[in-house]
Amino acid sequence: MGIRYDLKRSRKKVARKAATQYERLDERGRFWALRGVNLRVESGESLAVIGPNGAGKSTLLKVLAGIIAPDEGTAEVRGSIATLLKLEAGFDDELNAEENILLVGEYLGIPAPEMRLRIPEILEFADIGEFSNAPARTYSAGMRARLGFSVATSIEPDVLLLDEVLSTGDEAFKEKSRKRMVELMQKARAIVYVTHDLDAAEEFCSRAIQIENGRVVADGTASDVIDAYRRRNLK
Amino acid sequence: MQTHPAELSVGHPRRGPIGLVVETLVSIGERRRLIWYLASSSIRRNEGKSVLGNAWLILDPALQLAIYYLLVGVVLRRPEPAFPLFLFAAILPWRWFTMAITSATESVRREGKVMQQIAFPQIVLPAAAIVSSVASFIFGLIPLGALYFVYPERLSVWVLTLPVIMFVQVLWTLPLAIALSAVNVFVQDFSNLVKHGLRLAFYVSPALFSFDRLINIAGNYPPLDTILLLNPMVWILNSYRSVLYAGESPDWFALLITSLTSIPFTLLSIYLFRRLSPSFAKVL
Repeated sequence: MGIRYDLKRSRKKVARKAATQYERLDERGRFWALRGVNLRVESGESLAVIGPNGAGKSTLLKVLAGIIAPDEGTAEVRGSIATLLKLEAGFDDELNAEENILLVGEYLGIPAPEMRLRIPEILEFADIGEFSNAPARTYSAGMRARLGFSVATSIEPDVLLLDEVLSTGDEAFKEKSRKRMVELMQKARAIVYVTHDLDAAEEFCSRAIQIENGRVVADGTASDVIDAYRRRNLK
Repeated sequence: MQTHPAELSVGHPRRGPIGLVVETLVSIGERRRLIWYLASSSIRRNEGKSVLGNAWLILDPALQLAIYYLLVGVVLRRPEPAFPLFLFAAILPWRWFTMAITSATESVRREGKVMQQIAFPQIVLPAAAIVSSVASFIFGLIPLGALYFVYPERLSVWVLTLPVIMFVQVLWTLPLAIALSAVNVFVQDFSNLVKHGLRLAFYVSPALFSFDRLINIAGNYPPLDTILLLNPMVWILNSYRSVLYAGESPDWFALLITSLTSIPFTLLSIYLFRRLSPSFAKVL
């Protein structure tokens, strides 16, 4: 499976990177964010995705989330999906917390009555106090992150896609979110977790792949792959 | 959201054109709550933006009416009887049309961030823009009501057919909104072009001048009169004017033809949108 970005249309950021990564340009000078990825995640697996910045990890998550379609090959996901790509995904600055929760629910296809039932626990977990009635633009970055995390993890999906989401908040929140992650991992059928935090990856995941320059360069048990990656990077 | 375990949520096989259009129409139905929510939150956003908020939806058309009255009625001396009502009968729907198209054109590009994070049927974006624009029509009914105090003889029972004419207007707003919202993603400053296009279209429509006068003038420049007759908004505006100003029934036959001819355009624009939408997240 491969994802191709047409240089003409991609953002400048990508184009600049492309100029320095010759391996990722094909014969026609087009930049491949991912190429030749063959991956199968079974029910019950938790997969960590590690690798340097710009390797294509977030692109992989976007394909799995159905946000981008592959230019080459196919991608299939069975079951309901919840993604935590950016914690404030879908938030509207003018709406308050409750309204934003309902809005994100609608984006995800969850009907309002069902979402309304979850609002109390979401607000409680996020711990934003009085601000739940104020428009989101008044929230601090930390509050938005907590609320976003709380919303996305309150849905109980079959497949959980995470992009670097555990590194926010103070110690107390980190502890809470860790606990919640463990619960979710027990309930979800499959998890794909993109992270730079190798300890977290080892703690939460059974399997790991390493992506570099748009290709999968390592695939095995979490401890094996992560140890190898650590050793290489410490050299 | 619990779905049946084996249900495919990502990776549906490629559909042909008919399948694609049908699937889009179904998804609009399924996501009507999302459309409604997006529309109402955009209206509420306008509340907060300025001091007068949505009251501008009443003031704006009134001010526009005043300006055109002065320009066409007084300065150019080409008034029709009950000129303010003559103008407003067209200004009201045209403002709605302009707001719908302008907001729909930007609708997809504006939500670029969300599209990068959550997968959802993007067609809801232009759809929500059209729904939220109806607010401008509703608020505009207030100055219209005020005008009927000044010209009570012009008020007739035909005013009740307004919803039908509005429906035909929506039928033609849809394909434009959908197509323009998709093009705007790929072409920079397209919304500026659209804005000027709309202005031009307003000046060559029967909004400021009566249809007869317009056809007369256009008759001097041959292709122009055919273009005029082919323009669906001309027929729609004429209907509004019949009903709101002349106190007559609208031309039902013209409305029927106008409605039917919109359908292929709508289907085509949906198909175009769906073919382009996989690239939205990549470009934005």
